[in-house]
Amino acid sequence: MVRIYVVDNGGQWTHREWRTLRDLEVDTKIVPNTISFTDLLKDNVDGLVLSGGAPRIGLESDLGNCSEYLEKAGFPILGICAGHQFMARFFGGEVEPSKVPEFGKIELTLLKEKDMLFEGVSKKSIVWESHNDEVTLLPNEFELLAESENCKIQAMRHKKKPFYGLQFHPEVEHTEYGERIFKNFVKICRK
Amino acid sequence: MFDAEKFIEKAVPKLREEIQGRALIAFSGGVDSTVCAALVNQAVGDQLIAVHVDTGYMRKNESEHVKKMMSSMRLNFRFVDASKDFYDALKGVEDPEKKRKIIGNKFIRCFEKVAKDEKIKCLVQGTIAPDWIESGGELRDTIKSHHNVGGLPEDMELRLVEPLRDLYKDEVRKVARVLGLSVSERQPFPGPGLAIRVIGEATLEKTEIVREACDIVEKEIERAVEKGLMERPWQYFAVLIPIKTVGVHGDKRAYGYTIAVRAVQSVDAMTCKYSDISHEVLDDISTKITNTLGDKINRIVYDITNKPPGTVEWE
Repeated sequence: MVRIYVVDNGGQWTHREWRTLRDLEVDTKIVPNTISFTDLLKDNVDGLVLSGGAPRIGLESDLGNCSEYLEKAGFPILGICAGHQFMARFFGGEVEPSKVPEFGKIELTLLKEKDMLFEGVSKKSIVWESHNDEVTLLPNEFELLAESENCKIQAMRHKKKPFYGLQFHPEVEHTEYGERIFKNFVKICRK
Repeated sequence: MFDAEKFIEKAVPKLREEIQGRALIAFSGGVDSTVCAALVNQAVGDQLIAVHVDTGYMRKNESEHVKKMMSSMRLNFRFVDASKDFYDALKGVEDPEKKRKIIGNKFIRCFEKVAKDEKIKCLVQGTIAPDWIESGGELRDTIKSHHNVGGLPEDMELRLVEPLRDLYKDEVRKVARVLGLSVSERQPFPGPGLAIRVIGEATLEKTEIVREACDIVEKEIERAVEKGLMERPWQYFAVLIPIKTVGVHGDKRAYGYTIAVRAVQSVDAMTCKYSDISHEVLDDISTKITNTLGDKINRIVYDITNKPPGTVEWE
């Protein structure tokens, strides 16, 4: 059984991420973002989801111990919303308040369809959003995977490590291919 | 996938362990508290007392219906009419968070009174995941204080038992179906009731208006669903907006409040789309409300906001 923990950054949908993983029969639990990396290793996790949350990443410095996980992990990490923004900033990108914040239903366009995380996802699909800030400068070591009309960095991945960031929310019911994206992430963790 | 049978298998012995002595359950008659009551009833039987509080902010005929249901489930129950108390406590209160906290507090005081009389120390609540998620605390922002979480008084003396904390509504419904409970498909109704469907001060006069309007919206939509004109929404109701606009009734000027009709599609209430209701059905709702409520209401609007950015209820 693959083991993926959800790191809680205080999001409204953290528990939904846990539920989606549990429904996919993943061994999962929600852990506070203050858990040490050593404790994660002790539990032999196969992957992490960094949840979203109310903190304004562009304006605030920390997100618990998330930087430690990003620095030391060899296993896959999926950052969602604030988790994605934090990942971008950690690797040298920039996060700023969105010119046009997105809430609710948005059309996502894939720029690189062959990536494993988006296997089986249409070039254009409906995703659900809820953000005031966004990544405005992609970190050097990352490549861009998807965009929307008002937010150019909707999905990114590290070129060498299995780290992904998503601005939209694959965990909620109304995101068209949400479960598919989670399934793909589970597959990536299983490798 | 969530397995309701397995959940019940685990929950019943766990409840038996958690509940020492007698317990009281806060029983609104909705899906969550009914499922909770059935589970606790299986676990400890006669040790359980179900308490229903009529807050005065219930839907039309609701408390009567709940009384019948409690008898048919063979629950040992108490019925508390606290409507005067609730109306007095909300007098002059306009802020939605204050309203929710006052209501949460009042509920607990009612339960404490019964608990004291019956020498009970444990309170069972049908709290589900969105309740504590939206109530916030620590890292999480408060979206709204659910009466059963963020509205609890700090000096509460009862010990809480919440067997459904990690479940969402669709999962609670699955448990209800396995338990054979008739409420399994009932639409959600918030604990603070109609008090948060009157924007601003929830006076008796405005509450009576919104009670009638909610009843009309429910009946008209259910009729349309039966006729196959639309899919059953997740939740559907009326909200009274205390803004008066001008109308004309029988060649005379009218000046009444506004009713907003809200209907959404969802699975778990964490995200919602507004329902695609045909104009024909909206037309029936509008005509019925304005003709029933006469000079009190002369404008009806339909809420076309998704969640996010909106929430299901307006307050």
